Parts: sequence; structure tokens; C-alpha cells
Amino acid sequence: MTSTISTHSGTPPLGGRLRRVLHRVDEIRLHVSRPALVWLFWIVILAAATLAMFSVQGRIEQAHVVLIYLLIVLGASASAGRALGFALAFVAFFLIDYLFQQPYYDFFNDKPLDFFVLVAFLTTAIVATQLLARAQEQAREARARAIEVTSLSQLASETLNVGRAEDALVKMVDVIQSTLGVASCTIWPWMPDRGFGESITRDGIDVRRRDPDTLVHRAAERGEPLSLAVNGALGAEAAAPGTRELFLPLGVKTGVVGVLVLSDDKPIVFNPPKQRFLAALTYYAALGIERAQLVREAEHAAALREADKMKDNLLASVSHDLRTPLTTIKALAQTAALRGDTAAAAIEEQADRLTRFVGDLLDLSRMKGDAFRAALDINTAEDLIGAAQRQAQGLLSEGRTIRTVVDLESPALVGRFDFTHALRIVGNLLENALRYTKPGGSVELGVRRDGDWLVFTVADRGPGIPATETDRIFEAFNRHADATPDVGRAGLGLSIARRLAEIQQGSLVYEPRPGGGSVFVLRLPAVDLEGA
Amino acid sequence: MDKAASILIIDDEPQIRSAVRNALREVADHIGEAATGAEGLNAAAAERPELVVLDLGLPDSAGVDVCRELRRLLASPIIVLSARHSEDEKVLLLNAGADDYVTKPFSVLELAARARAQLRRARTAAPATPAPITLHGLTVDPVTRRVDRDGRQIHLTPIEWQILSTLVSAGGRTLTHQQIFDAVWSRQFGSPQQYLRVHITNLRRKIENDPASPRIVITEPGVGYRADVMR
Repeated sequence: MTSTISTHSGTPPLGGRLRRVLHRVDEIRLHVSRPALVWLFWIVILAAATLAMFSVQGRIEQAHVVLIYLLIVLGASASAGRALGFALAFVAFFLIDYLFQQPYYDFFNDKPLDFFVLVAFLTTAIVATQLLARAQEQAREARARAIEVTSLSQLASETLNVGRAEDALVKMVDVIQSTLGVASCTIWPWMPDRGFGESITRDGIDVRRRDPDTLVHRAAERGEPLSLAVNGALGAEAAAPGTRELFLPLGVKTGVVGVLVLSDDKPIVFNPPKQRFLAALTYYAALGIERAQLVREAEHAAALREADKMKDNLLASVSHDLRTPLTTIKALAQTAALRGDTAAAAIEEQADRLTRFVGDLLDLSRMKGDAFRAALDINTAEDLIGAAQRQAQGLLSEGRTIRTVVDLESPALVGRFDFTHALRIVGNLLENALRYTKPGGSVELGVRRDGDWLVFTVADRGPGIPATETDRIFEAFNRHADATPDVGRAGLGLSIARRLAEIQQGSLVYEPRPGGGSVFVLRLPAVDLEGA
Repeated sequence: MDKAASILIIDDEPQIRSAVRNALREVADHIGEAATGAEGLNAAAAERPELVVLDLGLPDSAGVDVCRELRRLLASPIIVLSARHSEDEKVLLLNAGADDYVTKPFSVLELAARARAQLRRARTAAPATPAPITLHGLTVDPVTRRVDRDGRQIHLTPIEWQILSTLVSAGGRTLTHQQIFDAVWSRQFGSPQQYLRVHITNLRRKIENDPASPRIVITEPGVGYRADVMR
């Protein structure tokens, strides 16, 4: 599929205008005035001055003669260039010697002082002519540059402000092709990880994923220009002789973003201004591609944000829809229990299990969508332990207890973590530990400082976890083979707990407990407070 | 305790309204219901209930807006029913004037206990000379600023006293971290505020029997703290 975008407006096409500019630049740069009339004019002036001075021969000082000739030479070289200046300087040199130095009508007399005057005249005339010519060339160069710069800025503003980033590239191709006068011009945008997608010509964007020439690949991957000569020879330079196809990598600061391909039936020859122009054009093309890529990335990011928002809304809605019947079931079960229904407790327990399961599933889904964030605050370990213990009160049955190991003599242990997330982890670990603790047994919940870490431990005297399983217990939906079948969990708790530890820059690991049982070790960043 | 004259339940789910009604049957003589925020505000203005139970997921308006409007209309306590995952929302609501929240799915016994506590607190007008309060063996005297545990005086730093008296005088209401900051540090800015949790821990070490298992100053995770003066 090719989408065609009009690149013409009411004003003449930019490519045509730029071609005329380049032509003008060429003219300015190569300009050397040699019109016969100017030459004739200065020859006549020289002849007239010579005649006038000859009429007063003997009464005019040699210095005056030299100065008059010098003025004529400078005037001639200013208006007609270096060649006429040199020519008149030599003619004047001989005229001075022949007509105005005694003995008259004789070349190169043997008076050294007179000869010195002649040589001084010639040297001054030639040096002055040379300096004048150079100054004039520099002025011409500056004019040409000014025109080039103006044209390029015009090109930049017209192409980059054309509207959509892709339209700018189509316009750019059109400008390059018509300005440089080549038969075809194509831009292949490229990304190192995705390769080539569409191709862009003056006719529009071809979005079919057809693979470009291998030389295009090579130019993109190596970031070096390549040229293909008429005789099939491959060159490394952009303007190798006999070039009929040119592959120019388009680079920005971050690397190559595409390749510009120029081709023609006849050899492509660029003069220096065109080469400079081409360099600028390729730079603009690279910027154009980068702009298109950035726009595309921004659109993609916006779409992702929208999808995330929809997902959040969906999760909130699902959460609400599931919790409403669960709330009703739980409330009705409790009411029934108050009236003496013995089965009501079981209904409530099942409702609670389902609530946890729904919560875990929703959390896992949010985690995969990277929707979990940590609010890292200054918190104390004691506060966390106290809250976890309070939360777990409802789980203590059949004489099971939680024994806390907290040093209350030393200053409070302080860390930077998300209190709710950390409580969720410890709560989950306590719940697991209590589940595998025999009636009358206890779970140990402790905390200590270890270097830069607060180390929370939850230890039980349950069956422990076989060495072969320890790596897998943190995987979602994993429950080890010996797990009691009716525990009613989906195996998400530890997976969620570990993820919650990681987003707080902490860690959660399992260790076998000496003497039997399990120890889960949660590490969270510790903080040293001054003046608290 | 006498029953409340009336309670208003604002929730769009008939089943939840029914569950809340069952839970609060023993707490009030009359229980009104509203299914939308607008209905709820009209009912609140007309009936002047002694307590409002407000669900956040209303079809016509944001829970926080309804809460703010209710607070403008009434001085009665507002208990919010919220989903578990939205601590931020709880904080927003408490800052907007809610007095307490109950997380779904909630226990009817807990809801009833909280409703009673809120009603008790609302009915107990602040006396001209506040009397000492005793909770779990701790006596707090707001006039003499004296704190005793089991007959022994405890020395608190000025900040610890401010925190304790703020929590105790809130009558068991959960105060958000921000509300405690505002009450204790008023217009001070800077680092002391971030140490609220450290001050609470130090305070607990002085006033609790078992600081690792506190019973007086209770943490409401992600939201704030409350003093356990409800029961």
C-alpha cells in the first residue's frame, strides 16, 4: 500500500527553488569577470596615462609615474580580477623602464637604484593584486555561504513544519531528488532492534514490509556511506567516480535511524556546494525520521497508558463486583451464626478464603501490569511487628501462639519501606507459618539489624520445604507436593510477597530452620536517623 | 447504651444495605437507606441521622465528594465502607471528614462495634474540664498533662504527649498521618514530621505493657493511628 501525499502548494516547489539557488551559488563561486570591455577600458586608461606622462617626459618624477601605474593596476585588478592586474603590472614594468627611466628607450640599464624601483613596483603591484583578488574571493564565498544557509534554513522550516512527521519525510525526499537532480531518491527508516519497515519516496510512504537491498542493510548496520559505480564496483566514499547509486546512512546523536538511497542512470557527480547541501539534507532527513519515531513512540506510550487505565478500571470494577456478593455472604453467615446456625462459621470461612483468593488474583494481575508502587517512608520495625501480630490474632487457634523477638532496650530499628506492603509480606509469612504449626506450637517473629538491612524472620517448626522445592516456592501458582490439600490457597502468596519485597529494594528468601522447620527472611533497607 | 434515633445507609447495592441493616439493627431505632449520593444527601438533610454509613462505590458521584458534602450538612459521625486495596482512598476520606472506615468484606460485629463507638463518642460532649481517661491500665489526664500506668507516673517528651493527647481526644477515631502531623507540629515544616512513626514507637515503649504487641495506640496500616478507647 502506498499513501500519496501532495508535496505541492501555491508557491513553486521547494526542490525547484533550491536547485536555482544552487545554480546561483555555483555562479557566484565560479565568477571571474573577464569581459573584453573591462579589459579594453583599463588598457585604454593605461595607454592614456602613458601618453599623458610621456608628454611631460623628463619633467615628471619617476615616483609619480610608479604611483600612477600602481593605481591603474589596482583599479584593473579590483574590477576585472587577478589576470588583468598581473598583465598590466608587467606592461607598466616595461613602460617605466623603457619610457621613464634614463637613458630612455632602453631596457634594463645598469643603474641598480632604478632597477630596485622597478622590482619594488612589480612586487607591490603583484602582492596588492593578489591580496585584492583573495579578499574578493572570500567575499564571494561568504555571499554564496549566506545564500546556502538561508536556503537550508528555509528547507528545514518548510520540511519539518509540513505537519505529520511522515509527510515531512515525503517532502524531504522530494526536495532532495529535485534539488540534486537525480532520477530516484528513497529513505529507508531503520531501527537496530526492528530493522526496516516502510520506504519513503516522493510518491509517498510504502508501508509494505519489503526488504531493501543488502547494501542498504550494510550502510545502516555499519553506519558508513557506500557507493555503487556504473561498472558495478563498490566504493566506500559518498562521491566515488562513476557512482550511479549512493547509500548514505542517516545518523543522529543516538545512532543510525535510516538510509538515504540516491540513484541515477548516469554517474552522479556533486560539486562542493551540492555535497555540502547533501550533507545538510541527510541530517534533516535523519532528524525527520527521529521525529517520526518519537511521535510514534509517544502515541504508543499514550495507547499503553490508556490500556493501563482501562485495566485499572476493569480491575476496580471486578474487585467491586466480586466483593459485593462476598460481603453479603459474610454478613449473612455472621448473622446466621449469631442466631445459632452451626454451619454459618464454615460459610464465613469459605467467603474469607474466596476473598483472599480474589485479592491475590487481582494483585497478581496488577503486578504483571506493573501497577504496584511502593510509598517508601521512614517506619520502625516494632510498628510493623506489632501490626502484623495484631492482624494475625484471628488466625490463632488451638493454642497456637506468635512469639516476638524484638530488642526493646536499644533504640528502635528504623527502615525505609512501604508499611502496607511490608505488613502484607509479614502477614502472609505468619499465616503460612501458623498453617504448618501444630496445635499448641508457636511461630517466632523476629527482627534485627544487619549492616544496611533490617532483617525480619518468621520461623516455624512445620515440616519444612524439601531442598528441591526451595527455588520454586516463590513461583506463582506453585504449592509443594506435601502441602495439605485443603489449605485453600492458590499458591500466589509467596510470589506476591517476594515481588512486594523487591519493589521496596528488599528481598525475601527461604532458609531451612536448624532443628526442623522453615525460616523466611525478609530484608528491607535500614535507615540511621540523626536527631530523631 | 441507648439506641440511636436513626442511622442512614448510603449504598447502591441492596444486598449490602440489607447486611448493614442487619448488623446495625440493635444499634438504632430507625435505619434509612439511600441508593445514590444525591438521594443520600437529601435524606441526610431531611432526617438528620445520628450516624451515616457511606459506601464509596456510588453510581452518581465520587465517595469523597459525598463525604465532604455530608460533613458540611451534619456533625454526625460518618463510617465509610471501602475496598481493601485503596489505602489512599481511606486517607482521602478521613481527611475529607469521615470518622472511621470498615473494609469490605466486613464483619457485622466489627461494624456494629465501630458504629456504637462512634455514636458514644458523638454523644459525649466535650466537658468544660476534660476528665482523665483510662485505657488498658493507662490514665491520661488532659488537664495536668499527667500520664500514669498502674499508678506510676510516666515521663513523656512534649511531642509524645502531643501525639498521645491528640489520639486520645479523638475518641478512638482513626487519625491519618497528616491529621496527626497537623495537630502535633501545627505549622512547622521540615524533618521532624517524617519521624512520626519513630515517636509513636518510643511512646509505645513508655505506655504499653508489651510494646511489640500494642493495645493502646493501634496502627491502621497505610492510613494512620488510633487510640483504642472504643470498647
